[in-house]
Amino acid sequence: MPISRFLFFSSKHRFRQPLNLIRRFDLSKRTQSCSYTKSSRQSHRNPADYFLSPQETKASRSWSTYVIPAGGLLGLAGIATFVHYNDERRAVRKGTSVCQCVKEKNFEGENSGPNRVTGPIIGGPFTLIDTENRLVTEKNFLGNWILLYFGYTSSPDVGPEQVQMMAKAIDILDSKKNLKILPIFVTIDPQRDTPAHLRAYLKEFNSRIVGLTGPVGAIRQMAQEYRVFFKKVEEEGDDYLVESSHNMYLMNPSLEVVRCFGVEYTAEELAEEISKEMKKAST
Amino acid sequence: MAALEAYASRNADEVHTDVLLKARQACYKSRDAFYDCLEKESNKKPTEIASVGLLYPAECKALRAQFVNHCRASWVKHFDRLYCKNKRVTRLLDDGGETRR
Repeated sequence: MPISRFLFFSSKHRFRQPLNLIRRFDLSKRTQSCSYTKSSRQSHRNPADYFLSPQETKASRSWSTYVIPAGGLLGLAGIATFVHYNDERRAVRKGTSVCQCVKEKNFEGENSGPNRVTGPIIGGPFTLIDTENRLVTEKNFLGNWILLYFGYTSSPDVGPEQVQMMAKAIDILDSKKNLKILPIFVTIDPQRDTPAHLRAYLKEFNSRIVGLTGPVGAIRQMAQEYRVFFKKVEEEGDDYLVESSHNMYLMNPSLEVVRCFGVEYTAEELAEEISKEMKKAST
Repeated sequence: MAALEAYASRNADEVHTDVLLKARQACYKSRDAFYDCLEKESNKKPTEIASVGLLYPAECKALRAQFVNHCRASWVKHFDRLYCKNKRVTRLLDDGGETRR
C-alpha cells in the first residue's frame, strides 16, 4: 500500500505534524477503503466509474499530501539559512588579543602563562558625543595610549572609586614616569548622564578625563564591541542602578586593546602595569 | 548621525547634583553614622523596618531619616543590601558553622 508507506515516511521525517497527517490519512484511508468496496460493488455495473473515482481521489490526495511536507521542509531550510546567516553576522573574529583580566595579577613577568590569548578581538569603531557636545569617533584618539572605562555617574560606590583610581594612576604616570596617557570615561547610562553632567562629574576627579556619551544605540554598539555587559537594575521610575562588568581597558596608539584591569587593582599597581606595557611597546 | 544630533540638542544642560562629590560625601557620612549606630545598639531589639529586609532598633530612627534624606533611594537599598551581606559573612565566620542555619 503506497499510502501506508508514505504515511510512515512522513511521520518519521516530519515530527511536527504527524498527528494531523495521520488523522487525515486515517480518514482518507477509511473513506478510500469505503470507496473501494463501494466501487467494487458497482464495478459490475460501471467499470468506468470504478476507474474514475479512485483515480481522481488518488490524484487529488497525492498532490496535497506532497505539498505539505515539502512546504515544511522548505520552512525548515529557510529557518536553517536564517540561523546560519545570523551566526555569520554575529561571528566574532578571532585574533590575538590580550585579556586575562582576573589571572593577570598572579602571573608576574612575561614567561609565566600566556600573555597573549587567541580569542575574540576586543574593540572597534565608535561615534559618540563628548562633554563639549562635539561628535567624536575613535579616529580622534589615534596616536595616544588610552585608558578606557565604562561606568556611570550614579554609581554608589564602585564607580567613583574606579574613576578616582584612574585619576590617581594618571597623576602618578604624569609626575613620576612622565608618560602621557589619555583617560576616557564612557557612560553606560546615557539617559541620565548628559554631556554637561559628565563634565561636572569628571572635573572633580581630573580635568583630563574625557567623558563620552551619546544615544543608547551608539553606546550599546560600542559596549558590544568592547564586550562590556550592562543592565539597568532596581528600577523605580527615574531612579535605578546599572549593573555592569567593571573593566578598564588599556589601548595602544593604534587603538588595539592591550590589557584589561579589573577592580582589584590599586592606583599604584595600575600605574606600574601601564608603564610596563608602554615600555614594552616602545622597545 | 541624526540620532546623535538629536541627543546632543536635547536635555544638554541638566546636572544631577546629587551624585557629585559633595553630595556623595554627605551621603557616605550619614550612611556611616547610621551603620555605626546599628553596630552600637546591636543588643537592642530591631523593631523598625529599613529596606530589603534590614531591621534596626528605634534608637537609630533619626539617623535613618538623615541617611535616607542625603542619599538616593537606589543607593540606600544598595548599601542596605551590602550591609546585610557583610553581616551574614561575619556571622558565618564567627560561628564557624556551629549554629544551624
